Amino acid sequence: MFVGSRLSTVLLVLAAMIVLWYVATTITGLVGPARLPQPLEVWQSFVAIATDGYGNGRLHQHVLHSLKLVAMGFTVAVCVGVPLGLWMGHSRRAEALINPTFLLLRPIPPLAWIPLAIVWLGLGDAAKILVIFVAAFVPSVINSYTGVRNIDKPVLEAARMLGIRRFSFVREVLVPGSLPMIFTGLRLSLQASWTTLVAAELIGALYGLGSILNQAAQDIYPAMIMVAMIFVGICGATTTWLLGQVEARAMPWRHERALQ
Amino acid sequence: MSLARPMTDRERFALTCVGTLGFFCVWYLAAFFQFAPAKFLPMPHEVASKLVQLCGQPFAGAILPEHLLASLKRYAMGFGLAAVIGVPLGLLMGRFRWLDRVVSPVFDSLRFIAPVAWVPFAALWFGTGIGGPTLIIFAGAFPPCLINSYRGAKSVEVKYLEAAAMLGIGSYRTITEVLFPAAVPSIIAGLRIGAGLGWMSLVGAELIVANSGMGYMIVKGQSAIATDIVMAGMIAIGAVGVAIDVALRKLEARLLRHRQEN
Amino acid sequence: MSAIEFKDVCRTFRRDGKDLLILDRINLTVADKEFVAIVGPSGCGKTTCMRMAAGLEFPSTGTVSVSGKQVIEPGPDRAVVFQQFALFPWKSVHENIDFGLRAKGLPETERQKIIAHYIGLMNLKGYESAFPHQLSGGMQQRVAIARAYALDPEALLMDEPFGALDAQTRVVMQEELVKLARKNPRTVLFITHAVEEAVYLADRVVIMTSRPGKVKEILDIKSVRETENWDQHQKIEDVMDLASFVHLRSRIWKSLREEHAGDH
Repeated sequence: MFVGSRLSTVLLVLAAMIVLWYVATTITGLVGPARLPQPLEVWQSFVAIATDGYGNGRLHQHVLHSLKLVAMGFTVAVCVGVPLGLWMGHSRRAEALINPTFLLLRPIPPLAWIPLAIVWLGLGDAAKILVIFVAAFVPSVINSYTGVRNIDKPVLEAARMLGIRRFSFVREVLVPGSLPMIFTGLRLSLQASWTTLVAAELIGALYGLGSILNQAAQDIYPAMIMVAMIFVGICGATTTWLLGQVEARAMPWRHERALQ
Repeated sequence: MSLARPMTDRERFALTCVGTLGFFCVWYLAAFFQFAPAKFLPMPHEVASKLVQLCGQPFAGAILPEHLLASLKRYAMGFGLAAVIGVPLGLLMGRFRWLDRVVSPVFDSLRFIAPVAWVPFAALWFGTGIGGPTLIIFAGAFPPCLINSYRGAKSVEVKYLEAAAMLGIGSYRTITEVLFPAAVPSIIAGLRIGAGLGWMSLVGAELIVANSGMGYMIVKGQSAIATDIVMAGMIAIGAVGVAIDVALRKLEARLLRHRQEN
Repeated sequence: MSAIEFKDVCRTFRRDGKDLLILDRINLTVADKEFVAIVGPSGCGKTTCMRMAAGLEFPSTGTVSVSGKQVIEPGPDRAVVFQQFALFPWKSVHENIDFGLRAKGLPETERQKIIAHYIGLMNLKGYESAFPHQLSGGMQQRVAIARAYALDPEALLMDEPFGALDAQTRVVMQEELVKLARKNPRTVLFITHAVEEAVYLADRVVIMTSRPGKVKEILDIKSVRETENWDQHQKIEDVMDLASFVHLRSRIWKSLREEHAGDH
């Protein structure tokens, strides 16, 4: 994300990190194996979980399970949150009516919903989908709302002047006009979804990346902890990248260069 | 849709009241009609009285203010550390290209790891008292602090830097007297985001590894199936989150007003 | 029947608990196919006049009607050209012009014909699929003007349409608008603070007082233009050198200067 990072420097720095890690944990023994695993151990743990499995399944099963829960909670949150945000942004009356509930619930961090979700729905998938929904819902609503409010006022007036009504107004003016902010909201929602999922799975789950973390922590198995962390990062980065691809396709008008 | 009528203040007030009452009505009705057993869905006033009760009667080893104090102590450590390291590092990265190039790959490869995923290592390295949760709060609050001060430094207009160079001002003073003041709005925005994420990470950490604090209290409430305690805890957590944000907003207003006066 | 009619229009704003009068009994009629420009000191409420004709704002007392119908909402019969263009950034040039035509429910073939006509007229050929941000300010305003003309409205309302353009582009656009207006006469209400622009474009120029805005005087330009045969000159600077033009311009300047003097 930072400007000025060339591929060669990136690779060099990452290689240096790995060498440093290797030197610290093996040759010099500066950091004990109970604190930080050796690179080779991490690789072996990765191979072990990918082939024989760990926790209650093999790596791809855990990853797919986590992905599935995030996809479900995130999708439901977005499908409810974005229209709600657009509506609140467009209608001052809707905003006045809904905002109080929103203001009461919004300050509660999504992670604080986890115990309540467990009390209500148990340790299964339903509770996790609920907390992911709560986490992803708030940024979807707020940013869609801001998106509508950020549309240039003359553009909205032009739409009214041209006689654009109802469905056409929503589809061709309101949505595309707020799309940049909607996507900002979706990115934040996605990030919040992963954080909440990992926390919920750490607290209690049979499958998923968080459950590996939990199991490995109980077994005091640092190498496996690291494998799980790496895959939490990979999943987060991949889904964010995918969302970026969708964003670029959804707003072609932002990527064309000036003609003159 | 004719002679479009703007909403009057009175109408707005009425709708806001209806909205607020509606929220509590739905809650009461759901509880009254036993939408869920009373054990799982207490009524709003029961939650409120539990909140008051928790301030005098210990639950999970301490009364609510003590839990809160334990949480705030960890929070101050983690968030403070994130600000003290993140802000200067971001500024320096915005100023010195080589530092940007070295730190960015490390930062980028770590930032997609959800802060709570650090919980096992945090416990392994720093224990479950103050150190472990501090690391997790740090992991939550650090990225916005760094990113925003970096962006703030990058957005400083070149003419100021050129003016500083022309006046023969050294590197250190350029950073403290040109870069930092110009980046203040962006830095504060970052601190606010970081404060929110840090508070959330704290709750996450306490849910899992701590033996005191607000998160610990609600997770104990969960295992005792005391829904009223869980809800009271959530409300307290939310209220403190709001208080932190309000404090930072006050700070922001004060700092920015000061700028305008100059 | 007059196309646009302001009848005893007053407009107040509420500010700090006090009612602030910004327009005071405006009476003005714009005839069918007439080009009327309103000039006045900033803050005199000239833009508010245009917005009331558009249906984007409403008079506190009095009525505004277009073609005999009282204005109660915005609509495509009163096309607006905004100072900031107000094009839809997510729609191409073609789609921007087409949007209003689709809303009117015109059939596909007719729409294509209209769009092609105005794209040609406004020198937009080759840019049909470009997005607004890819175009210069002048080009964007051409699209906005094409969009407004394509609606075939009963009245065209222009709010300082060239105010956001640089001086050279502005001159070119003024010349093109004159050509368009003479070739394609429409009822136009044109708001500007540039005196030359008003004299060059309009049939009549309305001078307003500073706040509260009243109609101060109305100058007939058309008769002068026709007797002095301004339209034989292609370039704006040639027209602006004519003695008759200079005379009108300084009359308006003097009138406006009195308003500024009144401020102090």
